[in-house]
Amino acid sequence: MNNLTHWLDKLLSLAVTLLMLAIVVTVSWQVMSRYIFHVPSSGSEELARFLLIWIGMLGGVYAYRTKAHLGLNIVTMKLSAIKQLYALIFSHLAVLAFSISVLVIGGINIVNLTLDPVQTSAALNINIAVVYSIIPISGLLFCSYAIVELLSTIRTLRGNK
Amino acid sequence: MEIAGLVLIAVFFVLLLLNVPISFSIGIASLVAMLVSIDFVPAVTTAAQRMAGGLNSFALLAIPFFVLSGLIMGRGGIARRLIECAMALIGMLPGGLALVNVLSCTLFGSISGSAVAATSAIGSFMIPEMEKKGYDKNFSTAVTVAASTTGMVIPPSNILIIYAIAGGGVSISALFVAGYLPGILVALSLMMVCSLYAKKHGYPVGSAMPAKKIVQKVLAAVPSLLLIVIVMGGIIAGIFTATEAGAIAVLYSLLLSVVIYREVKVKELSAILLKAGEITAIVLLLIAVSSTMSWILAYENIPQSISDFLLTISDNPLVILLIINLTLLAIGAFMDMTPSVLIFTPIFLPVAESLGLSPLHFGIMMVLNLSIGLCSPPVGSVLFVGCSVAKTSIEQVIKPLMPLYAAMFVVLMMVTYIPAISEFLPRFFGLM
Repeated sequence: MNNLTHWLDKLLSLAVTLLMLAIVVTVSWQVMSRYIFHVPSSGSEELARFLLIWIGMLGGVYAYRTKAHLGLNIVTMKLSAIKQLYALIFSHLAVLAFSISVLVIGGINIVNLTLDPVQTSAALNINIAVVYSIIPISGLLFCSYAIVELLSTIRTLRGNK
Repeated sequence: MEIAGLVLIAVFFVLLLLNVPISFSIGIASLVAMLVSIDFVPAVTTAAQRMAGGLNSFALLAIPFFVLSGLIMGRGGIARRLIECAMALIGMLPGGLALVNVLSCTLFGSISGSAVAATSAIGSFMIPEMEKKGYDKNFSTAVTVAASTTGMVIPPSNILIIYAIAGGGVSISALFVAGYLPGILVALSLMMVCSLYAKKHGYPVGSAMPAKKIVQKVLAAVPSLLLIVIVMGGIIAGIFTATEAGAIAVLYSLLLSVVIYREVKVKELSAILLKAGEITAIVLLLIAVSSTMSWILAYENIPQSISDFLLTISDNPLVILLIINLTLLAIGAFMDMTPSVLIFTPIFLPVAESLGLSPLHFGIMMVLNLSIGLCSPPVGSVLFVGCSVAKTSIEQVIKPLMPLYAAMFVVLMMVTYIPAISEFLPRFFGLM
């Protein structure tokens, strides 16, 4: 289990890093082709927008893993250690519930909507389903990490009792 | 509408107080509010659709680039060069070191786009330096913390891009240009407080450097400052869009930090890219769920109800603007700037517009207002960083912060009631 999470962490960091690199290269290419070669490339703008959706979702999972998402801890901070753990469990359950309902179920639905009839992007002919597939995928990743966090918090809670 | 609106607010606050990440608090509250009048499957599908749609925007593309260039520029010697330049220019005035601190924080905040980065980079050098010269440590910390937030309205600024998106297509170029005068006014008002404070406490006056040294120090800071000139010059002249300006800022900062100053090693870049991806994604996820929230707000006609409610309190625009400002100050004290802007722009902007404010004017007012929250307890992130850099406590910094808050509040009121402060420059450059 620990090995698997470690492997997943590595893969996720690598994916976010590469996506960032790709978006920098894409938009730099767009700027250069417009100002140096005077050939505006409409495909690069579209690709950059799609990359951004992927960065937002996969990076969002990464930020959940590194506990970097913004939150408000002034109330939970004042609770006893045990109650803080209960609050933590609640917080991860909330992430799990949203990820299953909106990101996984809702995400699969919008992917299906773009498959019938098949929608493709205007400039690059990319299948929109591929672009939107990151929503259910990231939903599953959020769920996996939420479960990992829940299990470890419950373990701590048992140890504290 | 009432039920869905109340459900949205109640669920959001319960989740927020239980320390559920704000992005998920917004998402879940919006979903539950949707479920009041919409079935489960169409509700989750619409929510997912709004999230995807919210992220699929050309304007958003500027954010990862300004985050990235800020991270690259924020490293190493740029803070030092800006401080030395400021020292050469205004170090000899009464309260010189405090003024240098304000100017350096403002410049660094603008270049790095992060008030927290400005506080830690400038503060870790300037606070000990001021203490050495006899300044009170808590005063020095208060000055650093307050001045670091001025970079929020001075472009390039990610928060203005976020506002432009939340406001439904306000011009980013116009907003950028609009931020200059208000930002400079805040910096000047803070400097005024510093001078008076320094005079009252008899702080030492530095001596002027020889002219040759001044020129040398200023020239050393020019390459860093050139970033702002290139980015803003290009935007004002209409040569490139904000997104392209962001990409150019990344390329320029790479050239400067990796090739010329050699302060960032090539192998460090992958860690910087990952960090930028993380910061960007936090903002993007907030934008995605806020797009779901603004859908349910509009669907249930909630901004209209709030506007009607405000108009029952008073029909005097001056009073309503004051109420909005006080509400935002209270919100800013508890919530970070990005979620505050994303949540409250769709609610308050229609009210402001019905009072005759331009979206540009309202945006600058809102960001300036929320900047004060960044340096006020209980949750001001910049205040926390400032106190930890200076190894002091919030309780001790609050007292010297009071006159600085007052100065910022006075400027906020000026910006609120004198539209020309925000609108003069964009008009002058033909951007509005």
